[in-house]
Amino acid sequence: MTQLLGGMPIMADLPGWAFTLIAMSGVGIILLLSIAVAVMIFSWAERKVAAYIQSRYGPMEVGPWQGTLQPIADGVKFLLKEDIWPTGADKPLWRLAPLLIFTGAFLSYVVIPFGPNFIGAKLDVGLFYIFATSSIVVVGIISAGWGSNNKWALYGAVRGAAQVISYEIPLSLAIMPIVLHVGSLNLGEIITAQRGWFVNWHAFGNWGSHGFAGILSLVSFQISLWIYFISSLAEVNRVPFDLPETESELVSGYHTEYSGMKFAFMMLGEYADVFVVSAIAVTVFLGGWYSGIPVIDRFVPAPLIFVSKSLFLVFVQMWLRWTLPRLRVDQLMHVCWKVLIPITLANLFLYGLLRTALA
Amino acid sequence: MNDTSAPLRHLPATREGDAAKPIKSELLHINMGPQHPSTHGVLRLFITTDGEVVHNVTPYIGYLHRCAEKIAEGNSYHQYIVYTDRMDYLAAMNCNWGYCLAVEELLRAGGMEFEIPEYAEYIRVIIGELNRIASHLIAFGTYGLDIGAMTPFFHALREREAILNIFEKVCGARLMYSYYDIGGVKWDLPDDALEEIKIFLDLFPDKLKEYDELLTGNKIFVERTANVGVVDAATCQDYGCTGPVLRGAGVSWDLRRNDTYSIYDRFDFDIPVGKGLVGTVGDCWDRYWVRMQEMEQSSRIIQQAVERLPARGECMAEMPKNLKAAPGELYTRTESPKGELGFYIVSDGGPVPFRCKTRSPAFHNLHVIVKAGQGQMISDLCATIGSLDLVLGEIDR
Amino acid sequence: MVKLVKDIYETFSTIFKGMGITRRYLGKKPVTQQFPYERWAMPERFRGFVHNDVPRCTACLLCAKACPVDCIYIDVEGKGKERQMTRYAIDYNKCIWCSLCTEPCPTNCITMSHDYDHSVYLRERLVYEFVDEPVVPFKPSKEKKPEPDATGTATPVAGASGGEGGAQA
Repeated sequence: MTQLLGGMPIMADLPGWAFTLIAMSGVGIILLLSIAVAVMIFSWAERKVAAYIQSRYGPMEVGPWQGTLQPIADGVKFLLKEDIWPTGADKPLWRLAPLLIFTGAFLSYVVIPFGPNFIGAKLDVGLFYIFATSSIVVVGIISAGWGSNNKWALYGAVRGAAQVISYEIPLSLAIMPIVLHVGSLNLGEIITAQRGWFVNWHAFGNWGSHGFAGILSLVSFQISLWIYFISSLAEVNRVPFDLPETESELVSGYHTEYSGMKFAFMMLGEYADVFVVSAIAVTVFLGGWYSGIPVIDRFVPAPLIFVSKSLFLVFVQMWLRWTLPRLRVDQLMHVCWKVLIPITLANLFLYGLLRTALA
Repeated sequence: MNDTSAPLRHLPATREGDAAKPIKSELLHINMGPQHPSTHGVLRLFITTDGEVVHNVTPYIGYLHRCAEKIAEGNSYHQYIVYTDRMDYLAAMNCNWGYCLAVEELLRAGGMEFEIPEYAEYIRVIIGELNRIASHLIAFGTYGLDIGAMTPFFHALREREAILNIFEKVCGARLMYSYYDIGGVKWDLPDDALEEIKIFLDLFPDKLKEYDELLTGNKIFVERTANVGVVDAATCQDYGCTGPVLRGAGVSWDLRRNDTYSIYDRFDFDIPVGKGLVGTVGDCWDRYWVRMQEMEQSSRIIQQAVERLPARGECMAEMPKNLKAAPGELYTRTESPKGELGFYIVSDGGPVPFRCKTRSPAFHNLHVIVKAGQGQMISDLCATIGSLDLVLGEIDR
Repeated sequence: MVKLVKDIYETFSTIFKGMGITRRYLGKKPVTQQFPYERWAMPERFRGFVHNDVPRCTACLLCAKACPVDCIYIDVEGKGKERQMTRYAIDYNKCIWCSLCTEPCPTNCITMSHDYDHSVYLRERLVYEFVDEPVVPFKPSKEKKPEPDATGTATPVAGASGGEGGAQA
């Protein structure tokens, strides 16, 4: 971005701080707008995928082809809806919740590496930053549930908070072997460690740096990938872990009392989070912006490869949503604490042994 | 996974220095109100919980009460048939059949002699069993919705549309048929409807296999429903539960076999009984499994009936225009998809019944939740209510 | 430990089987009919809106008596030769489309048509008047009862023929 703006005539004369400010806001606005549009497309895609799985059509009316302008109609609807306040609601908390959920999700986009020159901020603690900002969402969930003055919303919020903070542990532990291997939390470096042929992807064991021990790292990294994927479903409240927002028991869980733009923000935040966790999975495990075949890398722009891989994972999440039933709360907790965490700890330990053996 | 369905015990909290003082806590009174996203109808459940564990469930009904039994005292026997449709609206043909059978038995007991034509009896069985499949398809679909799998619902509705198309060809309506009449059925079976029934019978077994792969064997579904909502045979008998609830508890009791009516004794079918294949006998999975097996058995019965269908003939016995039953009272019961549907008709000799009471199976099945719901979690409560297959129209009349 | 591994295996295998089925559906054509643009012809016995062919009506009041919800309003004045039917109305707010009224009709003038989309904006418009000036009821001859005409549409003579911007008729 700085290079782009530096070329413009007026900009070079401004003092340093103003220039940085404008550059940063430019990046921020572009990211925000593009993600908002992307999220609208996800909501359309979810409805179409759901419909075709269920043998029906989905949105068809609005728009020239298969209801493509439906999200715009939805957006207009959200803007025009009446903003309903529940009586007895804790107003500051209730108003704060959508903002927190939205912010927590969007803050993560700053470090997502779309391409070698397309990272918002090249933080050295990129991965850690993402886990930190996704925890802001928990505060948002709890304030939504408490502030709604509704027992069912409270149930949803408490379940949601318990689920999100519990599943952050296997989420981060699953990525630890990769971090151990690469030696850095910087997302750009994690991707560059996977350049070359696709056997270099972490999902396939990164044979390039492990040599013949690639079999063992393949097993270890595959376990990480699957556990990461399952925990990420729980982080974003998708089926089979969508107990906080079940339709059959809790109406809508913590979003019950929200209408209009506030609900739209929460929905945006949720879909944005879905993309973030898919993007991280692609970054850490599936090669990032490298397509796996060096020839293609020279011609196809890096962001396109990255985004299409992430979109595929988003599609898999949608596919799972419409196939599986949901887990009950205590089963969810059991899976996290008694199954996933021991496996990730064992995985980390064994990979550590492997690395010491190799060194 | 180890025993994740045992009720959680509330541990008293103790800290250093606390002389075994438990934390002060209150039970939460919460209302699973009449408006539900899960499609059972307008049922209100008043739940007292301790966190997620339910201590008490009290169902409140009556939101759909439409005074059907009082209306019966003002309408003739023939006119009341349309009201029986609206009781269990998902299995309307079976409700019609129950009522018509009750009136016919009352007339026979009062001395009137008539013979329901063979053709009409076969049509009654075919249509009744088709409606049993349709009702169980809805039970299966909405149960998936309650557990969280939203796709089987649409697939079940697609099959149900095939059945409703058949019914539309036969009697002109898709939900409120009033097709059965006292003495037979109102119209005969057109040829294209018969063809469609055969086509449906051909494609249905594959669909059942698909449902099994999608939901029945799914580990998450099994974890949610096995060992949950266990209703044993003694509780069923105490509460008067019948139908899949009773058969899921291990008791082989089906009125089509144990108290045969119409021509059911000519058909060869099994009575599926819950065996606790993946959990305890009488849990939610067993009741669900009994319904899936019953759909298969129903298609067997329809296959046999279609093969032996007599040539087209009279579909209605000769009945007087103004029907008057001799004074007396009689209780007649049939096996509707939800259980034992009974009609107790009291006649005083006039053209309208003096009293027509309906014994609705879902009413008795519902109240089992008071016993089965204690100690479960709220999600389990939803699973149990779904497995009981309630239709509020029948409970409230 | 063995149970854990078995459970994990079962979980993944059943989930993948389920996903296989949903994946197959992604490629199939949906079964939905796009309603306002594609419509089916109704089967012969379809019970749509009730239609009364007034020139053939004998004002015997049997349909009104047969109706379980009393939705047929008939006014008859005079006796003998001056007998006239001043009103024949069916109140579709109450009608349940059960076709019990079509059974006792001696001339088969009342039939179930194949109409089904007559939505209106005002409830009063759902009371269809079939007679706008007094008519002399039909006197049937001794010939056979004519067959009902199932393809007639429910077209009332006057008055409430749908709401503003509403139904056909």
